[in-house]
Amino acid sequence: MSQENADVMIEVIDLHKYFKEVHVLKGVSTQITRGEVVAVMGPSGGGKSTFLRCMNRLEEPSSGQIIVEGIDITSPYVDINKVRTEIGMVFQLFNLFPHLTAIENVKLAPMHVRKMSNKNATERGMALLEKVGLGNKANNYPDQLSGGQQQRVAIARALAMQPQIMFFDEPTSALDPEMIGEVLEVMEMMAEEGMTMVVVSHEMGFIREAADRVLMLADGLIVEEGSPQDIFNNPKQQRTQDFLGKIL
Amino acid sequence: MSSVTPTPSPSIGALRYGHGEIPWYRRRELIWGALAVLSIFGLLLPKPGALSTGDRLAIAVFFVLVLVWAGLYLSDVLKPEWSKTVVAFGVLGLAALLFYRYADAEWARLGHVFFNWEMMREPMQGGDTGWSILLAGLKITLQMAFFSAIFSTILGLLLAVLRSFNNPVLNVFIIAYIDFFRAMPIIVLMILIYYALPYTGITLSPIVSGVLALSLNASAYVSEIFRAGIMSVSHGQIEAARALGLNSVQTMRLVILPQAFRVVLPPLASNYVASAKDTAVCSAITILELLKSAMQVQAFYANPTALIAATGIYLVFLVILTRLAGLLETRMRTRQATAR
Repeated sequence: MSQENADVMIEVIDLHKYFKEVHVLKGVSTQITRGEVVAVMGPSGGGKSTFLRCMNRLEEPSSGQIIVEGIDITSPYVDINKVRTEIGMVFQLFNLFPHLTAIENVKLAPMHVRKMSNKNATERGMALLEKVGLGNKANNYPDQLSGGQQQRVAIARALAMQPQIMFFDEPTSALDPEMIGEVLEVMEMMAEEGMTMVVVSHEMGFIREAADRVLMLADGLIVEEGSPQDIFNNPKQQRTQDFLGKIL
Repeated sequence: MSSVTPTPSPSIGALRYGHGEIPWYRRRELIWGALAVLSIFGLLLPKPGALSTGDRLAIAVFFVLVLVWAGLYLSDVLKPEWSKTVVAFGVLGLAALLFYRYADAEWARLGHVFFNWEMMREPMQGGDTGWSILLAGLKITLQMAFFSAIFSTILGLLLAVLRSFNNPVLNVFIIAYIDFFRAMPIIVLMILIYYALPYTGITLSPIVSGVLALSLNASAYVSEIFRAGIMSVSHGQIEAARALGLNSVQTMRLVILPQAFRVVLPPLASNYVASAKDTAVCSAITILELLKSAMQVQAFYANPTALIAATGIYLVFLVILTRLAGLLETRMRTRQATAR
């Protein structure tokens, strides 16, 4: 077992993932420390989303270890629902519950998983909606909100569980350009407050501003990692240079 | 770049009344002229009585021409809606009129045998009239329809939920259940439950046997409907729920089923209507529901009017049921769209 280090939140050791015959992750290892904002970049099909989704076992890892706060969550003896309450997740397509209003979306998990009272959950939920700038939309259904607003509700919904770490899976790539800013603002605010975050995104501005470290994931491997400045300004690997050349 | 000069588009009015560009089927002279010709043709049709082959041919040609004319009229998008309604009903009325006039029918006897409403009001030996017996039957039919709807929904939902967990062993049994009860004619199922089960020591009353058979049959269909509803909920919803830490039961109860119910309501309602009609099969196991009551009244009077009356009652209550389902559906849809 690795040496206990209070600052390491998630340690990924030699993570492999196969979809049938396709080898998507080919041995990814990294550590995420508390308070760190890690951006994951790379060409599509490179395994970014799979990497993220393996870390809360929305996808079952084929082999390797994922140690969250000292607990190997790939072990069959782990209650994955408990682990997931500590990991907030924000999806590309928001995935708000369409039959519930914004505030009901936010308080659903606190009430049923954390067994919080309706009153407390509503209070906290309203505070979070205020925080993401949607206090006045609490009683709207998702289909009455714009994409940017929906994504901000989704962030509030994840935050309502008071997670230790937040995962973002391309949170702005399904948004119209004019709505990207409002979502990134909320994410920057969270980063400033010290939230540990893993963000799959190609928003260079946000990454430069908020990320501490960039992982370049291509062909199922971390081909390069470093600070945003290092990666963007003098990428060492050919794969990184190719990729940055395409998105810039 | 060469600029394209747009050709000035002529106004609709010019198209209609200007330069002879009105399509032939839209020309007033043709439409109304043809109608006038048809009217004269209609007046010249032979008198009822002994009809020669030529007479029959003339009547047939007349009606076919009317149909062609109506087809032309109805297919013209510019004609107002109300006039099309008039034309459509006119054609139906004409067909009825022609049939009434030329059919070699004994209308009075037909009425006496099949539509003998006075007889339905006469008290029979127990003092009950035909109508009161039918209404008593309706009550039993409604009760059976109600309870089999409840039980089939519970059973079908349970099967669909269990099936959605994709346990291969369990699913073999569920699929076998569904296939079996969908394939089995209700009447056979009912007779087996009522007449064969007693040999195994299980004796059920006719009503219980009937409701059981109806529920088992309908649950197979209901379960397929619910399964389709559950599968219509996108996988992202499940992922979002699970990522929040909800377990699979909570995800099903709080996220999937509420969304599935909306999708499922229209087909479910039409399934209830169908299985309400299936209660007629219960007449095979001595239950005095609507159809069986009607057959008793028919036997007593030696007159089938009661069957026609029962059909009318089925029609009324099934139409009401269908409309209620439709109302519920629109209400559910608008509930989401309000507060905008």
